[in-house]
Amino acid sequence: MKNLKKTLLFTSMFVAASAQAEITLNGFASIVAGTTTSSDEALYGFENDFDFSQGSLLALQASSDLGEGFSVTAQILSRGAEDWDTNFEWAYVAYEANDNLRILAGRQRVPFYMFSDFLDVSYAYAWITPPTGVYDLVFDTFDGLGAIYNTSVGEFDTTLHLVYGGNNSELAIGEGSDAEFKNLAGAALTVTRDWLTLRAAYLQTELNVPVDALVPLINGWRSTPFPGVADDLETSKDIGSFIELGFQLDFENIIVVGEFTQLTLDDMPFSDDDSFYVMAGYRFDNMLAHITYGEDENSKDRITDGVPVGVGLDALIDPTNAFTDSQISESNYVTLGLRWDFHDSAALKFEYTSYSDDLNSNNDAGLFRTALVTVF
Amino acid sequence: MNIFQRKTMKLALLFTLLSSTVAVYADVAVVVNPSNNSEISDQDIARIFLGKLKKFSNGDKAVALNLKFGSETRNDFEKKVLNKSSRQIKAYWSKLVFSGKGKPPPELVSDKDILALVSADSNVIAYVDAASVDASVKVIKTF
Repeated sequence: MKNLKKTLLFTSMFVAASAQAEITLNGFASIVAGTTTSSDEALYGFENDFDFSQGSLLALQASSDLGEGFSVTAQILSRGAEDWDTNFEWAYVAYEANDNLRILAGRQRVPFYMFSDFLDVSYAYAWITPPTGVYDLVFDTFDGLGAIYNTSVGEFDTTLHLVYGGNNSELAIGEGSDAEFKNLAGAALTVTRDWLTLRAAYLQTELNVPVDALVPLINGWRSTPFPGVADDLETSKDIGSFIELGFQLDFENIIVVGEFTQLTLDDMPFSDDDSFYVMAGYRFDNMLAHITYGEDENSKDRITDGVPVGVGLDALIDPTNAFTDSQISESNYVTLGLRWDFHDSAALKFEYTSYSDDLNSNNDAGLFRTALVTVF
Repeated sequence: MNIFQRKTMKLALLFTLLSSTVAVYADVAVVVNPSNNSEISDQDIARIFLGKLKKFSNGDKAVALNLKFGSETRNDFEKKVLNKSSRQIKAYWSKLVFSGKGKPPPELVSDKDILALVSADSNVIAYVDAASVDASVKVIKTF
């Protein structure tokens, strides 16, 4: 309902704008089918029956030049995994201050990763989706201000992307209620020279993530001599930070891409996350064959470490440890893939991922996916 | 092997020879308005067509024009000057279009349309089959 109202509002904005300006329509779509390779396996939302909705999506983008350097853009996107509910992925007014500086106000992508800007545009990259081990933060967009500064230093093209804003989307984390990310701020620097691209990003945000299931524990710890544990279990006005380092080589028929990310969530009951992947691909005719290896490690020190055991607090210590321990994980994966540009505006992709859980081999899984991706 | 088959083979050979000859001689000419006296290097041409360079060395705005997707001349231009296949270029622009960072050059149907625009507008830079060039435009480089 809320979305419908927003849709109507934007539609009327565009209708009003169209009286003077031309509207450009573009779109993209991915139709993905996937299945795990044996009956007891599940991976990235896929199970052991051919599922056509989990990875599928369709998006339409409307943009209009308003003159004097101003333009309006909205991108609506429907995901099969969300019952094809429509969301505004981007909705912003842009101002081209000069040839080098562009200011965006409204909903836009957080520049966490190398592929953030075109995260859902599968046509723009080799895989069906970028590696889930790295691309796994709980939100991708924010509402606020962005500034993109482009400049050339000799043969180096550099782009500095600054953002400030927040996100209070209706994220359900476990049994919890709405998560809120305030004062999100950060910078991403990309340097490109011919076939080489280097990227670094740093972002931080204030987190307010109420988890209903933890309330009894938090209240319990408050009445002990260790209220600090209650503070660490509560995610309120805590600062989370994120670092990304990436590179890309695109030389003749060879493409090599790598990214490392580090998420740090201090004074919260949630785990830190270190991840990386390296991908190598080779182009021939209209094909691109590629292989990716990645590792993902979630770690969390017990927040009860300063509490003595056997002093009658075990009933609080045990469930607290169980909550934080449950987030520890170590995994690695290998993905083999093929992209076939069989058509001027569409590509067919095939991928097989072998996933290993280093702590619990029951979670090991093989996943086969195929996708038809297009831009229009 | 009967005569008919041999004939087909000769024909096929002939066509192969012909088409490779055509490929060698179909040069692409990069053209601007005769009034444009900017220094434009090969790298500048590539950067203008990738949306990375927005001005000529004389300070005037640079507007690139494309031929239709799939046109032979465009494929040659993208291969020789941008060093990418047309489909790679399409993927490149899809990154910029859907992140609001840029728009690909507008597409025109024929060399004739391109020449008409280039001869009328000092901001325009484009490419045509070298055989189509006439006196209304200035050739800055042939690839």
